[in-house]
Amino acid sequence: MSIVEGKYAVTMDMWPLQSKEMTRIYPFYDNLKEGRFTTTRCRDCGTRAFPPRVVCPECLSENLEWVDLPLKGQVLIVTEEEVGVPVGFETPLIHAMIKLDDQLTVFARVMNCKMGELKEGDEVKLVVYPVDPLPVDGKKGAINLQERVFYAFEKA
Amino acid sequence: MRNVCVVAGGQSVWGMRQASERDMFQEAGKAAFAENPAITNKDVDGLIVGSAYTERCSFQTHLAPVVAESLGIKPVNICCRVELLCATGSSGIILADAMIRSGKADVVMVIGGEKLFTPQRWEVNYSELASVDHDWDGTQGLGLPPPVFSAVAQEHMKLYGTTEEQLAMVSVKNRRNGLNNKKGQYQEAITLEQAMNARAIVRPMKLFDCCPVTDGAAAIILAAEEKAKYLTDKPLVYIRGTGQATLHNMSANMRNWSTWESLRIAAKQAYAKAGITAKDVNVAQTHDCFTISEIIETEDLGFCEKGEGGPFVQAGQSDFGGQVPINTDGGLLSCGHPFGATGIRQGIEIMHQLRGDAVRQVEGARIGLTHNLSGFIAAHTVLIYGRDLD
Repeated sequence: MSIVEGKYAVTMDMWPLQSKEMTRIYPFYDNLKEGRFTTTRCRDCGTRAFPPRVVCPECLSENLEWVDLPLKGQVLIVTEEEVGVPVGFETPLIHAMIKLDDQLTVFARVMNCKMGELKEGDEVKLVVYPVDPLPVDGKKGAINLQERVFYAFEKA
Repeated sequence: MRNVCVVAGGQSVWGMRQASERDMFQEAGKAAFAENPAITNKDVDGLIVGSAYTERCSFQTHLAPVVAESLGIKPVNICCRVELLCATGSSGIILADAMIRSGKADVVMVIGGEKLFTPQRWEVNYSELASVDHDWDGTQGLGLPPPVFSAVAQEHMKLYGTTEEQLAMVSVKNRRNGLNNKKGQYQEAITLEQAMNARAIVRPMKLFDCCPVTDGAAAIILAAEEKAKYLTDKPLVYIRGTGQATLHNMSANMRNWSTWESLRIAAKQAYAKAGITAKDVNVAQTHDCFTISEIIETEDLGFCEKGEGGPFVQAGQSDFGGQVPINTDGGLLSCGHPFGATGIRQGIEIMHQLRGDAVRQVEGARIGLTHNLSGFIAAHTVLIYGRDLD
C-alpha cells in the first residue's frame, strides 16, 4: 500500500527519545523508571531548573547535579477536557495545576480519575506508566524495542 | 532611519479548504496585489514567508522560494521563512519593518499561511502537540490548548469575579463583527444564549469560546515611505512601534496565569517606540484564540484596569461606539486562525481601518494596534500602526 508501511516515523513520535544515545538528560527517564521524579540543579549558583537541562539557565554553568522533586502535590485548579483530545489520550482528559513545592507548580495530566472526582485542595501523587516502546534499528535488519515510560499524576 | 508604510494586503478564503498550502499562498499573494493594482510582483524586492506547520502538514521546508516562484516574485534582498506559531505573521511584519527601516530592502511582501486539515482528521490534534513544549507539555496531552485557557479563565474568575456570560459576550461581539467578512471562516452571528448553552470543550470553555482550526493564507506589502508615495494613491499607514517579549515556554515556568507579564512588556515597548499610550489606540485586533484571552488582553494592554476586562466587554467598551473597538473583522473567533496568517490578517484590517475603507469602519481611527500570543501563552507580540507619524 505504501513505501512507508510498517515503518515507524520516529520524527512524529508522541514521546521523547529517552535513551543515552539520543539525549543527554537520559538520567531523568532512568530515574523515572525507578519511581523518582528528578531534575537538574546547578552546583555553582544553586538554581534548580525544570525541565532538566545540560546548561544552567541562570549562570550558564554546565556543573549540574540530579536532585529529587516531590512525588506529591496539592491541586490548585482542575480542568476536564470533554471534546477534541489528541490521539493516544482518553476522554475526559483531566489536567490540574499542581503545587509540588514553593518553587515548582506543574500543569499536568491526572490519570485514573473520573469527571467531577478531582477537586481543588486534593492531594495527588506521581504515577509512572509505560508508553509506546521505540523501535530501534539493530544489526542485520533486526528491530529492537526500547522500553519507555512517562509520568502523570493520580489522586493520592 | 526610514519610515515604513503598509501599502497593500489581501487574503485567501479561510476555513476548511479544498486547497493545498501553495494554492492558498498564491490566492493570498494575488489578493494583495489585486487590492492595490499600482503594485505588481515585479516591485517586490524582499519576501518573508510565515508558516508553522509547513513541514508537518505539507512535507515542505525551504518554503519561501516555493512561494516566490509561485507568485513570480524575484526577491533580491531577503527570501526566507519565519515561525513563531500564532505570532508568525506579526513576526514577519516586525522583521520586514526592520529591513525597510534600515535600508536593507525597499518593498517587502510578508505572506503567511497554514494547511492544517489533512484527510486523516486525527492528525490535526496530533500535530498540535508540537505547538507547546512537545517533550514536557505535549506529553501531558496539551496540544490544542483549551485546558490551558480553562485554567486561566478559572483563575481570572476567582480573582476578579469575571463571569461565563462576560466570556460569551466576547464571542457574540466577534461573531457579529465577522458577519460581512467574506473571507472569514464564519459569517454567522450567535446569540448570548447559544454561546452560554453550547457544548462544553473544557469548562468554562464552551464551543464558541474557542477559535476553530483553519486553513488559509494572507499577504501584506510594506514599503519605504518614499517608495510608498509612488506605489499607492491610498492614504499612507505607518508602522509606528513594535514589541515582542517572552519570559517562559513550558507551563511549569509560567509564573502568573491571569496577568500576562510578557504582554505588558511587549506593549510597553511598542507604545514607547510609537510615542503613545494605551488610551490613544482607536482600534485593536487582539488575539482572541479564546474569549478569556481577549478579556485579559484588554487589561494587560492597558485599555482598562486589571480585573476590569469582564465589565469592559459587558459595557460595550470593546464594541463599535466604545472606548476601543476590538476585533472589528471578527477576530480569530470568527475569521479562524491559520497560525502563519493571523498577524497578517490583523495588519490588513488595521490598514483598512486607518485608511477609512474597512468593511465595518471605526469612524476617524488614526491609531491601530495588533496583538498575538503564541504557544503556551509564552510569547506576546504587539504592533502599533498609525495614519500619522506622530
